[in-house]
Amino acid sequence: MAAAYMKVGRGFSILNYLLKPRKVSAVSHLSRNIRKQCGLYGTTKILMPALSPTMTEGTIVKWYKKEGDTVNPGDLLCNIKTDKADVGMDTEEGGILAKILKPDNSADVQIGTLIALLVEEGEDWQKVQVPTEVVSAKSAAQTTVSPQTQTTIVTETHEEAGHAASGIGPSVRKLLEEYGLTAGQVTSSGPHGRILKGDILKVIKQKNLQRKDIKAKLKPTPASPLPPPPPPPPVSATATASAKAPVKTLPPITRPPPSPPIEGEEYKDIPNTNIRRVIAKRLTESKTTIPHSYVTIDYNVGPVTKLRKQLTNENVKVSVNDFIIKAAAIALQRVPKVNSLWNGEAIQMSSTVDISVAVATSQGLITPIVKNAAYLGIDEISLTVKDLATRARDNKLQLHEFQGGSFTISNLGMFGISEFSAVINPPQTAIMAVGSSRLTLDEDGKPQTRMTATLSYDSRVLDEAEASEFLEVFRDFMENPNLTMSGSRMSKLLSAKN
Amino acid sequence: MLPAVRQRILIFPKSLFGSIYQANNYATEATFKTQPYKLHMLENGPSTEVTMTRDEGLQYYRQMQVIRRMETVAGNLYKAKAIRGFCHLYSGQEAICTGMEAAITKEDAVITAYRAHGWTYIRGVSVHGVLAELTGRASGCTQGKGGSMHMYTKNFYGGNGIVGAQVPLGAGIAFALKYQKKNNVCLALYGDGAANQGQLFEAFNMSQLWKLPVIYICENNGYGMGTSAERAAASTTYYKRGDYIPGIWVDGMDVLAVREATRFAKDYVLKHGPILMETATYRYSGHSMSDPGTSYRTREEIESVRGKRDPIFNLKEKLLSSGFSTEQDLKNIDSDVRKEVDEAAEKAKSDPELPLEELYNHIIVDPPSDMRVRGCDVTISAPTKG
Repeated sequence: MAAAYMKVGRGFSILNYLLKPRKVSAVSHLSRNIRKQCGLYGTTKILMPALSPTMTEGTIVKWYKKEGDTVNPGDLLCNIKTDKADVGMDTEEGGILAKILKPDNSADVQIGTLIALLVEEGEDWQKVQVPTEVVSAKSAAQTTVSPQTQTTIVTETHEEAGHAASGIGPSVRKLLEEYGLTAGQVTSSGPHGRILKGDILKVIKQKNLQRKDIKAKLKPTPASPLPPPPPPPPVSATATASAKAPVKTLPPITRPPPSPPIEGEEYKDIPNTNIRRVIAKRLTESKTTIPHSYVTIDYNVGPVTKLRKQLTNENVKVSVNDFIIKAAAIALQRVPKVNSLWNGEAIQMSSTVDISVAVATSQGLITPIVKNAAYLGIDEISLTVKDLATRARDNKLQLHEFQGGSFTISNLGMFGISEFSAVINPPQTAIMAVGSSRLTLDEDGKPQTRMTATLSYDSRVLDEAEASEFLEVFRDFMENPNLTMSGSRMSKLLSAKN
Repeated sequence: MLPAVRQRILIFPKSLFGSIYQANNYATEATFKTQPYKLHMLENGPSTEVTMTRDEGLQYYRQMQVIRRMETVAGNLYKAKAIRGFCHLYSGQEAICTGMEAAITKEDAVITAYRAHGWTYIRGVSVHGVLAELTGRASGCTQGKGGSMHMYTKNFYGGNGIVGAQVPLGAGIAFALKYQKKNNVCLALYGDGAANQGQLFEAFNMSQLWKLPVIYICENNGYGMGTSAERAAASTTYYKRGDYIPGIWVDGMDVLAVREATRFAKDYVLKHGPILMETATYRYSGHSMSDPGTSYRTREEIESVRGKRDPIFNLKEKLLSSGFSTEQDLKNIDSDVRKEVDEAAEKAKSDPELPLEELYNHIIVDPPSDMRVRGCDVTISAPTKG
């Protein structure tokens, strides 16, 4: 009631009520004042957000609100999967979720795309108008993404000519000089038409230019594999198909941007996940750049099985795989050249032995790392591997837990594979593939279980002798497992027993 | 016909009575009770009975809505990659800057940390100035050179990136004010995370020794980045951390309480020396735009604060219950604010950026006209202006 008078104003209130006939019920006057908010704010567009500075597109996994639901500020709207993580998207606006334009499991939604519409409360949300122009027409500064992200190939149109010439960085200038190029010969892809180092490297590769000072030699991509590679050349479509490219031209291994690769079309009902793409890219890179060589050894697992049984009686649960990891770790310490990384310029010897263990998950193969394996006891290795494997299957590994590592072990023994060879994980130097045990006879005709291990190694780093030495040490430790346990708690257990 | 007449007769006495009643209350104030203040080394504190006139109430409401909307829009612009770099949002803490600004004058100085967009606006920069600064345009309040953490205006010293660095600076500003014999104070704000920094205590010491007119304010939103206050500080009674400096604890979600406490503090400080205020508040967003804000606290907690302690909502209830405004009026203010902020955002997105020559300006004050500055290597050199 009081509020109603406010509208009319102080002095006029009495008079107006006397003079003006009003068809109003005696019920509260307040209800007259709260009229429907039709179109007070219009519809709010919800665009695909950039949830991290490097994100260019993502997948909408699940919507937590349905069309017609009331949304309060701060509510969780949907889950968005980016190249790095699954992040929830909140809304700051309140209202009713009128229309969802990109439903659950929409993949490859670009930043800035319209994904939903919100209307004010009280409005008829079913009659919301979907804007036809759903493009995010932003300035060049937003659409040009720095070449660090693998996006669509952008040759930047030279807008804002005022900025073009002066923004060349010192490394770019140096490269221009060394390779005898001028700024005009290089297409720029940086903001405001700036030439970036990646652009020059691209041109160098395309034209197979040679550096003025140094002997002419075809260099592979100078950037080490771990940081993001330079942008792919425009003719990438032809480069993807064959796994074995002719050595002479050696195109950059990076695949074109994440549009579904050709393999994807054959499996109509299995769309490629991010993990699958990354695996495909890295394996191709590995097989085509690294000259693989293989050495195989087989060894008697009898002693290991016996020791394992002993430990089980002591309530220490370990598996043969843990012994393999430990033996490999010690062998890596003894033959340190195998425990190295190839970074294009030099062989980088790792100071610690970090062994990546291949774990099969529903999404693909992932390799969590057992750090400092040489100094862990077998029981510790066992616990670490179990924990990592569980978390890998639940997709809960953190980035540092599967990126890195200096050596990989892949064990297909549980599938009954007797022997196989694995693909090296760049920039590591070697990977060991372990098969299952088989029953044979030894020299005396007694039954013996043996196992085969194949080491795939990078011929640029190791030669046959070094690789063989490594496998020999590995076999020695597998056949004398007590040596692997020196210094750990379990050796005390065993020596007490014995 | 008859019903209408009857209705009129029915209404008439009520209207007469009602308007006379209302005539008395139209321009007067409403009184509210705040939460009790906690005091440290003070005999008397600010009054828990606070009054508010209609104009004041609507003004604070509008200001807080502007800040809330501006921060929302800043968040959306960041997600659309129109704003890059750092962006720390003030949503949820608006009552502090609004209440304090109401208690001080434009001649008093304020210095705060990087969660400064709200303060920049309240100290006099337009929404367009703030948003254009965030998007890095020449029309921003620092000509686009500062960005989120370096916004300044008269008697507002920013906008400081280093945690806790602004507190000794605030003591220095107070020193200058006292030295120049001005009857003004300096508000030096910091967060609960910065409250454990050493230089704060150095500043406390000097300001108490020389009786500087500085009000230290700890905006305690419960989290220093992702660490809750209990996990970061041995003593979470931040208002007592000044030790020999008297302290007041204020409910930072109540704009009137904040105003009252700041008035009391300003009064005290001009006579006796520094004072420390702790304002208990909450931020809805994460620490910055790269923090979703839900990995160290639950959504339920955020929702419950939004539901029960939201400063704008509390002020709205006060306005409605005292009869100073109606739902419709407030909704009109909301839509007005929204329009203003959205227009400013559009301008901020489309305004021209700085020309490249600006890179070399504002380095030296009043440089000689033939001076040239060097770039990152000897081949880059350009003329400069002050």
